[in-house]
Amino acid sequence: MMLEKGLEEKTFYLNLGPQHPSTHGVLRIVLEMDGEFIVTADPVIGYGHRAHEKMAELRTYQQYLPNMGRVDYLHALAYNQCYCMAVEKLAGIVVPERAEFIRVITSELNRISSHLLWFGAYLLDLGAFTPFLYCFDDREQILDLLDRLTGSRLTYCFYRFGGVPVDLDDDFIAGCRAFIQRLRSRWDDYDNLVTKNVIFIHRTRDVGILPPDLALRYGVTGPTLRGSGIPYDIRKSEPFSVYPLFDFEIPTGERGDVMDRYLVRLREMEQSLRIIEQALDKLPAGPIMAEKVPKRLKPPEGEVYTAVETARGEFGIYLVSKGDVKPYRVKLRVPCFSNLSVLPELIKDTMVADAVAILGSIDLVIPEIDR
Amino acid sequence: MPAQTVIEKLTPLVGPEKAALVDYAATGCHVRVEAQPEQMPAVAAAMLAQKFFLESLTALDLQESFEVVYHFASYDELCRTVVHVPLPVGTEVPTLSTIYPGADWFEREVFEMFGIIFSGHPNLKNLILPDDADFHPLLKDFVASS
Repeated sequence: MMLEKGLEEKTFYLNLGPQHPSTHGVLRIVLEMDGEFIVTADPVIGYGHRAHEKMAELRTYQQYLPNMGRVDYLHALAYNQCYCMAVEKLAGIVVPERAEFIRVITSELNRISSHLLWFGAYLLDLGAFTPFLYCFDDREQILDLLDRLTGSRLTYCFYRFGGVPVDLDDDFIAGCRAFIQRLRSRWDDYDNLVTKNVIFIHRTRDVGILPPDLALRYGVTGPTLRGSGIPYDIRKSEPFSVYPLFDFEIPTGERGDVMDRYLVRLREMEQSLRIIEQALDKLPAGPIMAEKVPKRLKPPEGEVYTAVETARGEFGIYLVSKGDVKPYRVKLRVPCFSNLSVLPELIKDTMVADAVAILGSIDLVIPEIDR
Repeated sequence: MPAQTVIEKLTPLVGPEKAALVDYAATGCHVRVEAQPEQMPAVAAAMLAQKFFLESLTALDLQESFEVVYHFASYDELCRTVVHVPLPVGTEVPTLSTIYPGADWFEREVFEMFGIIFSGHPNLKNLILPDDADFHPLLKDFVASS
């Protein structure tokens, strides 16, 4: 739908959000409309800004740990891990292998719970209510498992500098194995209910295509990028923790449309199950905390950049230390910030109903963008 | 080795010994570059030509001066490149948003948080803070209340 230049008086503005169910948080998008079609889109962010980066400069390294569970509350453990990795690298702390295994198991469980929530909420955006009930039923199992281990259901603060505070027990391991079996038995249900649903296919096939070169210019990462066929996943591209020990694949799409992004996330959950399964099989004995981690941590002067793969893409921490008990500067490189900045290009010339389908397919967590 | 290629491509732009290998295990980066503000558009164009994406763009308030810090990474090969640009107070740095449209938001964030001006930016206004906020919270002399 082309709009001739000089016809601006025929267009009108529509606010999508900041209070809109499909923005999943306080995001506002100012849409310039020509009838049903979107001419321009301008995301307005910052409603949930909590100044996490400033807080880092005012707190000691340990005091800042709980902040990490509150940046992206859906994959909090990956954020825990990235921050711990940054501080451990700077301070030269070596994490015992068993602790790394526990981190991988819990972080992958958290990834599945994040994808399941996206799955349910996204289909709700598209008008399907039933899948939501299925996913939340499955997701609840993960929350129970992690609740038992970490003490919280969502905003986890579980990893410590040098390891983890609580060891896995037999009940957790048995619960984990039962969950793997249960979720695997559900894939057919999901496919029959959603993937093969003709309405769903029509809403998502060839909609919101993200070409790889556009993704590169905007720095898009995560399933949104992999849907466009680029197998960039930090777990493989820049291996951290004990991920190189496990056999798993990076699902990618071909067309880069909404459907491909959906399929990538769905297949990724099965890969996470494979990682958890192997980690449980290979779980080594040994300590779960490094010895002699000082209570008052004072990393030497220097700077470090660490990155992990979260459910939404690359999360990076750029940490600068001046040898003090507080960080000098912490920059949180969050995936949805870059992923959202490409949205105006994707929803140009589409209809509002498609815009909702495209917006949801990026899997945004708004407080993570605002920080 | 991609890091060597990056150094070869950037050395003519930033001058000898300004681009060097660094210890990846200690810093998380493979190449460290020190550039002048006016060299940045050429550096960014060279990075884009090698299929690097702009991973992060931020600044450091060193109190007597600023430093703008760019991280570039590649989808294909592991080679993180960090570019430090020293910036005396009151000077400007050219925008990269014409080369990397993704830099648009990063630069707006640095602008509101530090007050650094990106010359040539098409839409340099507050991104995260309210439109009328005239303070720069990430400056070291900004005191957070509480």
